[in-house]
Amino acid sequence: MSLLEIQGLTKQFGGLVAVDDLSLSIEKGQILGLIGPNGAGKSTAFNCVAGVYAPTRGSIIFDGEDVTGQKPWDLCRKGMGRTFQIVKPFNSLTALENVMIGAFAITDSREKAKAKAVEVLETLGMGDKKYLKPGTMTIADRKCLEIAKALATDPKLLLLDEVMAGLRPTEVDEVIKIIQTLKAQGMTIFVIEHIMRAIMTLSDEIVVIQFGKKICQGAPEKVASDEKVIKAYLGEDYVPA
Amino acid sequence: MTQRQLKKNCLIGLVLAAFALPLAVQNPTYLHILIMLFLFAYMTTTWNLVGGFAGVLPLGHSVFVGIGAYSSTVLWLQYGISPWIGMIVGGLLSALVGYLIGKPTLKMRGAYFALSTMAFLEGVRVMVENIDMLGPFKLNGPRGLNIPPLPPEDAGFWVFQFSSKEPYYFIALTMLIAVLALTYFISRSKFGYYLKAGGEEPEAAQALGVNVASCKVAATALSAFLTAMAGTFLAQLTLFIYPKSVLTLDLSFELAFIALIGGRGSIAGPVIGALLLRPVGEFSRIYFSDSLPGLHLIILGVVLIVVMLYQPRGLSEPLLKLFDRITSRFTKEAQEDKV
Repeated sequence: MSLLEIQGLTKQFGGLVAVDDLSLSIEKGQILGLIGPNGAGKSTAFNCVAGVYAPTRGSIIFDGEDVTGQKPWDLCRKGMGRTFQIVKPFNSLTALENVMIGAFAITDSREKAKAKAVEVLETLGMGDKKYLKPGTMTIADRKCLEIAKALATDPKLLLLDEVMAGLRPTEVDEVIKIIQTLKAQGMTIFVIEHIMRAIMTLSDEIVVIQFGKKICQGAPEKVASDEKVIKAYLGEDYVPA
Repeated sequence: MTQRQLKKNCLIGLVLAAFALPLAVQNPTYLHILIMLFLFAYMTTTWNLVGGFAGVLPLGHSVFVGIGAYSSTVLWLQYGISPWIGMIVGGLLSALVGYLIGKPTLKMRGAYFALSTMAFLEGVRVMVENIDMLGPFKLNGPRGLNIPPLPPEDAGFWVFQFSSKEPYYFIALTMLIAVLALTYFISRSKFGYYLKAGGEEPEAAQALGVNVASCKVAATALSAFLTAMAGTFLAQLTLFIYPKSVLTLDLSFELAFIALIGGRGSIAGPVIGALLLRPVGEFSRIYFSDSLPGLHLIILGVVLIVVMLYQPRGLSEPLLKLFDRITSRFTKEAQEDKV
């Protein structure tokens, strides 16, 4: 059974159709990549799934339950963890406290939340940075902190919105390693990414959207050689004859 | 002795000293200044639950002071109900109003929320000034309500009237310590963390399972309840309330000033702010009220500008750091777990 199933998802902002009749599903333990040119509607689709926007039409079934239009905080408690494209750390709190906010989703006890937060930070190799404030951290660490916050809620599905954007190649490799470790532990991950190297390595399957519509779906190699995808990214002239 | 123990002992010493102070200070004027200092530290602490932790700027908190003051006074004057019970009734009524006003306004951001709380306060003040009777309750419009002082033999704890200032002093001090302890407890709890997270980055907090709006509304209702208790105390202390004494923007602004100067969102901030600013206000009122009325607000404004320029997060941060450094001098232990 698939963990997340999106059927006919449509989101309109006034006359603009940002996501148009998008359907896809993610199996348990799978990494699904969502790519598309800028403005294709990836983040909007993500925000519909995570409950930030209520979809105009269509349904979202998560873990066997219809969760269409539910609020972000309820979805989080049902097992959906997400990161933001632009990092949103709580700047007055330490890294540990940032992650504790996430851990409070699964416990009311401060001590348990703290233990959980320490555990998550250590698995991400940030154990020595627990008492730092986000403002003093590198962008790579702040991106990792985003992942840590989401992981502390014990999600079944992790939604990663461009976690590698703005990182140096070596840092990208580190994040790829982290995501691969999570997958090895059985985590299901839905990822938006612009860095092709990363998304090709990570994804089991890729969905490509353009102008809100799905134009291609399949294994990374298949997608990379698809005519429509090349057209969308590079233009008509680059389609091999 | 570890640094933490030393700090704890300092704190206990401070509390004991505060309780013993009336032995040294017997002049009723000075005692009154101290009582008002504690009362303002108390009100600012309750303000801080919303204005500090929840990250919004309420500028109409005196509406809750007014509700507390009027509730207990009306119940006492018309029905002879003890102001202590009136304090609870006023608190509950105030919490309800806080809930109703917070529900729609807390969705607004920044200045819009501040303006809407001011507008609500002004609306309530104008209403109270213009009606004599609210249903069966006599509010007496702009003339206010006068609580006739009881003869000394009838005064006492249950009727919340005393012939000397000392009991008021101890009640105010106890209320302050209780509310500080509550704030400390909240700031370390899940609710406190959720408030801070929701105040700083609402979207990120929501994605982590925080229902930001309901956290803020709950904080406002709690703050309203506690603020109204201060209103009852104020009414019993002065025995005379009128719309311009309890339902004013001046009072609301002063709470915000004290919090901003002392340190928003910190526990010690309101106390430090009140300690610094109340005496300035009181003395300028005593010595300059004839020649320069309102001077204390000008002084507060200047102090606020200076503090915001050099210590935008308030004075409590540098002062606590100093305290930290001094106490670490006397102890050799390594830095402890700070969370």
